[in-house]
Parts: sequence; structure tokens; C-alpha cells
Amino acid sequence: MMKNLQKTLNTSCMILATCMVLGGCASKDPIQVNGIEVHDPYEGYNRAIFSFNNTIDDIIIHPIVKGYKAIVPDPVRTGVRNVLRTLRAPVNFANQVLQGDIDGSANVLKRTAINVLLTGGLVDLAGHEGIEYESEDFGQTMAVWGIDHGPYLVLPFLGPSSLRDYAGYAVDSFADPLRIYLNNIDEEGWYYTKVGMDYLTLRASLVDILEELESSSIDYYAATRSTYYQRRQALTEDRSSSVSDYSDNNNAYPDIEDFE
Amino acid sequence: MLRTLTLTATAALLCSASVSQAHAVSNQMRGHSNPQQGLVQMVAVNTDGAHKFIENVTSQGIDFLANPDLSYDQRKQEFRTLLKNNFDINTIARFSLGRYWRTATEAQRQEYLKLFEDMIIDVYSKRFGDYQGQDLEIGQVRAQGDKDAIVTTKIVPKNDPEIQVDWRVRQKGNGYKVIDIIVEGVSMAVTQRSDFSSVIQRGGGDVSVLLDHLRK
Repeated sequence: MMKNLQKTLNTSCMILATCMVLGGCASKDPIQVNGIEVHDPYEGYNRAIFSFNNTIDDIIIHPIVKGYKAIVPDPVRTGVRNVLRTLRAPVNFANQVLQGDIDGSANVLKRTAINVLLTGGLVDLAGHEGIEYESEDFGQTMAVWGIDHGPYLVLPFLGPSSLRDYAGYAVDSFADPLRIYLNNIDEEGWYYTKVGMDYLTLRASLVDILEELESSSIDYYAATRSTYYQRRQALTEDRSSSVSDYSDNNNAYPDIEDFE
Repeated sequence: MLRTLTLTATAALLCSASVSQAHAVSNQMRGHSNPQQGLVQMVAVNTDGAHKFIENVTSQGIDFLANPDLSYDQRKQEFRTLLKNNFDINTIARFSLGRYWRTATEAQRQEYLKLFEDMIIDVYSKRFGDYQGQDLEIGQVRAQGDKDAIVTTKIVPKNDPEIQVDWRVRQKGNGYKVIDIIVEGVSMAVTQRSDFSSVIQRGGGDVSVLLDHLRK
């Protein structure tokens, strides 16, 4: 497992190094998305990988994902999603704590207790009772700590993200107690199965949105980049959470001047 | 962006709850927000009015989407009317063009406004078939700045996770207009602006490059 992780990290580093070399495009007007500064110094490389990923999506990923959605009945997919969310509880909890979000941490504990004890994690009873799921990751934690995105990066097969958020993903995976446990009992195969299922459910939830965004935008790359930054901002601010105080954040909404 | 906006709006319209459900939730809502109501009204828009406005817009949307007797063209016409009456399209269009609005000539602006509206209608219309009776629940309403209110709604598909759709509503005279739709934290207006400005920037800063794309 460690070896594999190291391999992954090495590969990532090589890709990053390649980006740096390929990057270094001429500087241009700064890009802003709703007040967030977007750094895309490797835009040329990113656009190439983006287009590569789209091809892979069209010929491999989307057919698989659509097959999954067509063949597996909705209740089963919902159950799979609920189990995966339950398995993520330790990572969510740790990040809530690191973000100093006391209500959020308590919610993870309540959700896990209710869902695991009463349904074995298959049904989101807590969600029905208004204790909604919040996905937390170390990228969001770093954002709460005031660390910027760094450069925007599109990696092969993985898609759009930023240096900070990719680093956050690596930390979450490395520190995940589930991974460490399965590794200790020599059952890391189960961990990779979970990672694969995470990827599948993520892509299943995105497929319609991405097709919609592609058909509705002129520059799909720019629209995706904008969406990424906005979505991460919303997640970091826990905007959909019932316990957040999002209304106090005046930066969440752009100034929209009246047309006269 | 506009298209995304339209898409989202369509989705939201499509998903509007049965009217009875919307009423039930909205009543609940009002119960919750009552203590703040007086305060909010003093400083800003009438959140209760914004709430009713969105309830009205979404139920109108549902009505034509769920009506099996309408042809595609009739639906498109209904949608155009709904959009013109309830959305401030020019404000959205101007925002989406960002700083390039200033550099555009008067003729370019006029053409752009027209193309923008057509684009929205086209994009939304393509998605009419996506409505499958999803519910739309209206949640909390709060003031945003001096002129606007954010009306929070949730689209509840049968088996997929709920989608949070926030409507940014601006008070105009005695009425209200939608000026942005925010889906899971992603603003249609901001996304549209990012799309358009990238197209213009990559085209050398010339608005006519965008107009060429929109004409297609």
C-alpha cells in the first residue's frame, strides 16, 4: 500500500514538474471568479489535458456511468452512496474539527450514530431528520486556514482542481483511518474498491451536469474552471448547511448593476 | 452562462413542487422567519413578497411543463412570456458581458441583448423534456444588500440527492425580477460571465468575436 501510494505521489510530482515546464505561458489579464483570484499559469497544458479528459469521458467514462445508472436500480445506488458517505465519516469529522466547526463535528457524530446504529449505514435517516450530509476535505480545511488555491490544475483522468485541493486529497487519503486499517489487515483491495466506487458515484452525479455545461457554454474550459472555483468556495463556506451563517458573507454574491 | 442559467432555471421551474406542497413549506417558512420579518422589512426588500413571487414563478413554470396538451412550440412561447415577465434579462445580459459592456458600441450592445435572450430561450427549451415531476420546496428567504432577496429552494428528485437552487430576486417598482439563479453555490450569471470573458479575451479583446459565436 505504502509503495503504491509512493508511486502515485511520484507520478503526481512528475506530472506537476511537467506542468511547470510546459507552463510558463505569457502572462495575461488576471481572471476573477466572483472576487476569487484564479491563477491558471499552465492554461495551455490544462486545456490540452481537459480536452484529452473529455475524449476519455465520451468514449469510456460516460458510457460506464450511464450503464451504471441504467442497470443499477435507484434505491441500490442510493444505498451505495449512503454507505460510501458513512465510510467517509472519519475524514469528514477530522476536517470539521480542524476547521474549528463544532456544530459540523457534532453533526458528523450524530449522523453516523443514527445511520449506522439504525440502518447499518444503508439509509440516510439522519438526513431525513434534517441533519444533512456535508462533505469536508483537507482542501477546504486549508482554505479555512487561509491558504489559497495556488495554480489551477487539470490532471489526466482526475479532472479540474487546484494544487491546494489535490494536496488536500492526498492528505485525506493518506490519513484515512479506513485505509490504514485495511492496510494493516492486508485487505487493501477493499480500500481500492471503495476508491473506485467513490469515483463511480462522483462521476454518476456529475455526468448530466457536465453535459449540460458543455452544451450551454461557448468556452467549456472557462465555464468549468469558473464552476470549480465557485463550488469550492460554497463548500468551504458550508453554504448548504443548515448550521452555517452564510447570510453574513457579503462576498458570496457579486454586485449586479441595474440595467437602465 | 446564460444558457446554464436557463438550464438551471428550467430545472428549477421544471422541478417546482406541486403547488400544495410549495404552500405547505412556505407557510412553515413564514412561521420561522416571522421574528425577523419586521427588521428585514425596515432595511431592505420585502422578503415575504419575494417569497410569493418565486412561488408564483415556479408554479407557472410547472404548469406549462407538466401540461401534456401543449406542443413544443407552445411551451417555448409560454416560456418566453414567463421569462420576459419575471426575469430582468437585460440586467443579467449586461452583467454577463462584464467589463466588455463598456467597450461595446451601441450597435453591438443592442445586438448582444437580442442574441442573449434568444440563446437563453433556446437553451432552456431544449431541456423541457427533463422535467419528470420533481418537487420544488421553497425554504428560507433573506435580504441581500439593499435591493435584493435570496429565495432558497430545493429540488427534490425521487432518488438522487436534493439540489439547492437559490433565486436572487430584485425589487423593481412594485414587483420583483429574478436576476440570478445559484445552483449548489454556482451562480449562473458568474459562470456566464467567465465563459463570455474568456471567449472575448482569447479572441483578442474584441466583443464581435462573442457576437459571432452567439449568432451561430
